[in-house]
Amino acid sequence: MHRIGFVVNPVAGLGGTVGLKGTDGVITEALRRGAVPSANERAISALKYIHGNDITFLTCSGLMGETALQKAGIFCFSIVYNSPVGSTTADDTRRACRLFLDEHVDLVLFCGGDGTARDVYDTVGSKVPMLGIPAGVKMYSAVFAIDPKSVAAVLENAGSLMTREAEILDIDEQSYRKGILSTRLYGIARVAALEEYVQTAKHVIEEKDEERAKNEIANFITEVMLPDTTYIIGAGTTTESIVHKLGLRKTLLGVDVVRNRLLLVNDADERALLATLNNDADSRIIVSPIGAQGFIFGRGTQQISAEVIRKVGLSNIIIVATPAKCADTPLLYVDTGDPELDAQFPDSVQVITGYRIAQRKKISK
Amino acid sequence: MQTKILLDEEEMPKRWYNVLADLLSPLDPPLHPATQKPVGPEDLSAIFPMELIRQEMSPDRYIDIPAEVLEVLSLWRPSPLYRAKRLERHLKTPAKIYYKWEGVSPAGSHKPNTSVPQAYYNMKAGVERIATETGAGQWGSALAFATMLYDLQCTIYMVRSSYTQKPYRKSMMQVWGAECIPSPSTKTKSGQVVLAKDPETPGSLGIAISEAVEDAATHKDTNYALGSVLNHVCLHQTVIGQECREQLAKVDEYPDVVIGCVGGGSNFAGISFPFAGDKMSGKHKDVDLIGVEPASCPTLTKGLYAYDFGDVAGLTPLLKMFTLGHDFVPPSIHAGGLRYHGDSPIVSKLVHEGVMRAVAYHQSEVFEAAQTFARTEGIIVAPETSHAVKAAIDQALECRKTGEAKTILFNCSGHGNFDMTAYDAFYAKKLVDYEYPAELIKQSLARLPKIP
Ligand SMILES: Cc1ncc(COP(=O)(O)O)c(C=O)c1O
Repeated sequence: MHRIGFVVNPVAGLGGTVGLKGTDGVITEALRRGAVPSANERAISALKYIHGNDITFLTCSGLMGETALQKAGIFCFSIVYNSPVGSTTADDTRRACRLFLDEHVDLVLFCGGDGTARDVYDTVGSKVPMLGIPAGVKMYSAVFAIDPKSVAAVLENAGSLMTREAEILDIDEQSYRKGILSTRLYGIARVAALEEYVQTAKHVIEEKDEERAKNEIANFITEVMLPDTTYIIGAGTTTESIVHKLGLRKTLLGVDVVRNRLLLVNDADERALLATLNNDADSRIIVSPIGAQGFIFGRGTQQISAEVIRKVGLSNIIIVATPAKCADTPLLYVDTGDPELDAQFPDSVQVITGYRIAQRKKISK
Repeated sequence: MQTKILLDEEEMPKRWYNVLADLLSPLDPPLHPATQKPVGPEDLSAIFPMELIRQEMSPDRYIDIPAEVLEVLSLWRPSPLYRAKRLERHLKTPAKIYYKWEGVSPAGSHKPNTSVPQAYYNMKAGVERIATETGAGQWGSALAFATMLYDLQCTIYMVRSSYTQKPYRKSMMQVWGAECIPSPSTKTKSGQVVLAKDPETPGSLGIAISEAVEDAATHKDTNYALGSVLNHVCLHQTVIGQECREQLAKVDEYPDVVIGCVGGGSNFAGISFPFAGDKMSGKHKDVDLIGVEPASCPTLTKGLYAYDFGDVAGLTPLLKMFTLGHDFVPPSIHAGGLRYHGDSPIVSKLVHEGVMRAVAYHQSEVFEAAQTFARTEGIIVAPETSHAVKAAIDQALECRKTGEAKTILFNCSGHGNFDMTAYDAFYAKKLVDYEYPAELIKQSLARLPKIP
């Protein structure tokens, strides 16, 4: 019997239908403009594919889960969290997830957007795999199912699931409403995934393959790192493996600077990065695409700003990603906040995916 | 306008053409891995029969093909030369495209042109078993076929990624009575070392060669055979180019461009050496000879021209060639036969001296070209061959731009009937465009371990 924690953020996506990008703090405004909550509809459209009878859901009362399950014709559930009367908040999601953990669920299924993903991640972390039914305005995190049917396929195999790393992104709501995409790596969750059967049964993405790939990438990059050169190393587990190979500590969610195999700056902000570039030393940026859209550079709070990129030079950017990550992100995405700079990026770039192995990937700007 | 240009059996070349006789300067000799002195015939005699060693070093321009070998070759030779009329029309090119179809051999590629004489000379020398490696399985099946003809046993180390990708290649080897082992294996020390370092390795030609050489060197009754790279292998393939020259002469043509894909260099050598001879002797100074390689393993376009081992373990003599380093394990592209870190020393020298040149392509663009070829000419080519098809199409498209009516000849080295998983991957949009990060490697080359 698989135990699935299930939570819906009933107001997720509310802002989107009425031209508000995101919903945090603007619910009343959204409702005033005539927004109709749709998260539960999205949840039902995914749940109705579930026919397996060895799944027990643990959920919340009313619109935070119970309603969607019932409407999808699923009755094997128990309510572990009583949703408040009236409007729900991020805290309700977090509290529900805490109770799911106490109940030893195999997986947390949630319905919402990037904000909900963050709330779930705050409690669940990487302890239990998660999976999102997309219903938000912004879905840049890599935890969402591709389509409603695949949710059912994953749940029905919940006992023998593969998991992969998935970045949770923090998108700044205020700038997003002004049309500025400001992304930051918020955390690294584990997302439930199905084994991907290809003809030769070769493309199975396994954790050990991921580790092996990261190790190969780290071996190669550390081998070609040049002396007296400043390396600005972006966030994520792939870049982390490079810094670990040098015997140094990496800020997983931040940017570090390395020169001559020594850690120069830990968790650098844009100012610190610019300061390290204020000499004539050669410099390089090493980044890995993050999120479902495969960002290599997002604007705004990103420490590696347009100015930093200009100083280092476009030809001095080294992009690294595991083969599985590359397979999941057909396009890479660049949005430095500086259209002129974005335009200078080539149509395709080389991504290092192994020891002396690279792939050519298209860039979408 | 003729579609097929055929030769009679009596018109089959009776001699191999040895381009060594026409090189502008002598080839740098292979060096002994231990002493780094030039190897002599006796150094090679542990794993090769003397007649092949003689051919490897022969200064003679022509070497007679034994009658017993000619008799076997006549099963499929002379092979047809086609005018690719439909492809030309499709491309709207003024160029004339000819292709030499080597897929008519029993194994489905050019490889039996050398497996037959190699097995023959080993049989003559009283050898009982031959060990070899195979990448895509084409060479393994070709040698299995040839050893069967002469009652020799055959052990084939097949690169593991191909072993799983192409199960029917090993079935063919079984039909012809050979034993096929996925490499790296636990049967050899070389294989054990690689497996200990990386149990999940996809394997590579370089590793499989180490295993086969070790097997041959440690068993008295066993010799080794190589399907490409070496001079005598290139020599045996020159029947291809000699036939092409005859066939084109029948329609009053001489090629402006000659194209072949390059793994170890043997099919490209086969089609191009006779024309390279014409070029070096000044008879046809302008013929453009183009080798085509994968962007993921761009030996001729991005490699270093230096002495390096032919295999991963460092058991073979050091060869002066273009190399990406003998420890390089190329990514698992579908053109398994092109996953080799080095290249024929003769092809390397000719590229180095500008007699030949090379281009490299990504995986998905060559399959695109193979699809075009299949939908115009009908033949579904091997993934290796698709590289040559792509270059020929690009040459023809260039002609459309310039209005030149060049005569383009390419070697259609084999069929892809056992490579349908590769085509499936192409249609599923699962082909990865691997490439070799040459710039990064170059930047730090000074600090890389020195290639001896
Ligand atoms: C059909 C085909 N073409 C080309 C090659 C590449 O080898 P070579 O460069 O020796 O011709 C192979 C090797 O396996 C092959 O099978």
